[in-house]
Amino acid sequence: MAYTAEAFQNEFLALGATEVNAIVTVTSSGAADGRRTAGATEIIIVDCSGSMQAEGRMVAARQAAKAAVGCIDDGVRFAIVAGVSTAQQLFPAPGQLAVASPRTRADAVRAIDRLQANGGTAMGAWLKLAHQLFAQRPGDIQHAILLTDGENGEYKGYLDSVLREIGGSFTCDCRGVGTNWQVAELRKIATAMLGTADIVAHPRDLTAAFTQMMTTAMGKTSADVQLKIWTPVNSTIRLVKQVEPQMVDLTGKRTPDGPRAGRYPLGAWGAESRDYQICVDVPAGAAGDEMLAARVSVVEGEEALAQCLVRAVWTEDAALSARIDRQVAHYTGQAELADVIQAGIEARKAGDDHTATLKFGRAAQLAHASGNTATEQLLATVVEIEDAATGTVRLRRRVEAADEMALDTRSTKTVRVGRAR
Amino acid sequence: MSVVTGCASCGDERAAGAAFCESCGRTLATGTPPAAGADCPACGTTDAVGADGYCGHCGRLVVRPRDHAETAVATVAAAVTDRGLRHHRNEDAMWLAARDADVDAVVCDGVSASFDPDIASEVAVEAAGRVLASGVPADSPGGLAARVGAAIAVAGAAVAALASTGDPRRAASNPACTIVAACVRGREIGYGWVGDSRAYWIPDEGDAEQLTEDDSWAAHAIGLGIDPRAAAVDPRAHAITAWLGADAGPVEPHTATLRPEQPGLLVLCSDGLWNYLSDPVEFAATVRGAVRKESDLLRAARALTALANERGGADNITVVLVPIN
Repeated sequence: MAYTAEAFQNEFLALGATEVNAIVTVTSSGAADGRRTAGATEIIIVDCSGSMQAEGRMVAARQAAKAAVGCIDDGVRFAIVAGVSTAQQLFPAPGQLAVASPRTRADAVRAIDRLQANGGTAMGAWLKLAHQLFAQRPGDIQHAILLTDGENGEYKGYLDSVLREIGGSFTCDCRGVGTNWQVAELRKIATAMLGTADIVAHPRDLTAAFTQMMTTAMGKTSADVQLKIWTPVNSTIRLVKQVEPQMVDLTGKRTPDGPRAGRYPLGAWGAESRDYQICVDVPAGAAGDEMLAARVSVVEGEEALAQCLVRAVWTEDAALSARIDRQVAHYTGQAELADVIQAGIEARKAGDDHTATLKFGRAAQLAHASGNTATEQLLATVVEIEDAATGTVRLRRRVEAADEMALDTRSTKTVRVGRAR
Repeated sequence: MSVVTGCASCGDERAAGAAFCESCGRTLATGTPPAAGADCPACGTTDAVGADGYCGHCGRLVVRPRDHAETAVATVAAAVTDRGLRHHRNEDAMWLAARDADVDAVVCDGVSASFDPDIASEVAVEAAGRVLASGVPADSPGGLAARVGAAIAVAGAAVAALASTGDPRRAASNPACTIVAACVRGREIGYGWVGDSRAYWIPDEGDAEQLTEDDSWAAHAIGLGIDPRAAAVDPRAHAITAWLGADAGPVEPHTATLRPEQPGLLVLCSDGLWNYLSDPVEFAATVRGAVRKESDLLRAARALTALANERGGADNITVVLVPIN
């Protein structure tokens, strides 16, 4: 695959300044002929708790799972897990993975018809079973879909311990159907498993959501791409964060790799482009000194696919050091946007309307100014935006739970700034 | 120092420059980078410099060939350029070529407010230097001064062309630089300039002469009758009124010819030096002192850049010394 990495920054620092910020755009043109460089394994986990009976969720979930199975390419390994108080493998035989073909897909569809809503919710156990199945296929592109409609029923702390154990070992996209599930819980799983979390308010939209997730997964051609970051002695990496297409903090996911370097997992890649923010504290230099603050490489195993440099140049010229790079400024704004939305939702839940109005007002202003129309529209379901430019908003009296959950889960979605310079 | 092997355009023996020992601005400016694997001069770590010039330990950029470059042609000429202490890179560039006692010299100073001023100065010295070396126009009525004028015009066109190539930010703030050039043939000195880089004539005996008149606000104001001391401290004093670059309009270089009566020293320099020696009498005394004190021309040129650094090194410093016998 052909990868490129490009750094956007203002490399000039005032004397005494030590914080270096850059946005690194990683782009892959995808594999030749769309061929995977590794095998692929897919696991579909469907919540079969009793509540799934309501609003036709189970019927819709069966249909969605069948649609997802239909999207799996021939030759890809797959399995279906029924999520009850324990994890039960629905298809194929327990402990096995099926190889996708017209015959196995038809068998899977028949098995899906047997899914019944009559259990509890045990997400830790479901993920653990998926992890055991994936372990048979090391090196594969490993992706799971987890569907739930409720809160985890396992004892407190169990899910966290499972995520600590298996976090990052496969990608898991989480979807909550209806409004009785916990945004924070699914976000926690998605963050630990480098996946996405989103709401599917109406069961009728499940098929589209599953089809989209599986199609995207089939587009991934590399299993385990990483960002390797070298920094000079006496420096500290303050943060490494995916900032586009959505905010994902990778700072804590570092694995050391040789002197002064560490790797951060980016998950599976297809033909796509993502942006990362990197912030490094370096020892201050004298006027005119130039320092390599970070050497950023895109790696897959031992192979370096692309590289770019984040530099620091100290200058007495305030006109140079005072400039803020457009990309850095933009994503600083997008991060604040996600933060103020979540703070607004918290405040509103706590009954602090004054704070909620202020936070949502700032959010409307940021979303509008950065051209993040999707977030601006979501905000408009929770507040009446009187003037986005000044951030003048009024809280809506009645807010649909689904709208507020959509705003919450999607608050981390970002947009790109135009790259014309 | 490299040898120009021939002039593709004119074929003239002298222009072909078969015997021209040349150390051009480009080779000077790029110098010889320390090999990868060298020890880091900043942190002292052994075997630390990577292929991209950064220390693999402290991250410091070690290979900075333009920070300090120097060259000398025996007793005929010497040139030194230095980043100074305040600027983050050296935006000055120089060209020096010599055969026997014939010398071509060019000094350019990139305009910091423009984009890629270091590229502008590098391109300008080479473009002008090649015209001077080509010896064309050889026998025009204008003589050496006309040749210098032609060289500056070619350099101006080359710098102007930068605005529409490379980084798109160049179009918004086009690369620009000053230029001062000299062509020495025996006792005849053709010289010319645009901007505030200067040429001085320092005879062995008697008063020194500033050959150039800055294209600057201060010079313009003094010309209009403002007190020179007041003009020199005005915030606008150093604003230049002419330069090479896409936004400079048609380049009209000042040119002249000097035929000195007695031996002396031709000096070309950027404002990084003369800012610390603004009085021509002091300038001459300092240069004469350096030449007398040091054992050779190159050491004298080094001593002058060192002096500018001792006094603050606020700008890039370039100095070329050409003795005329």
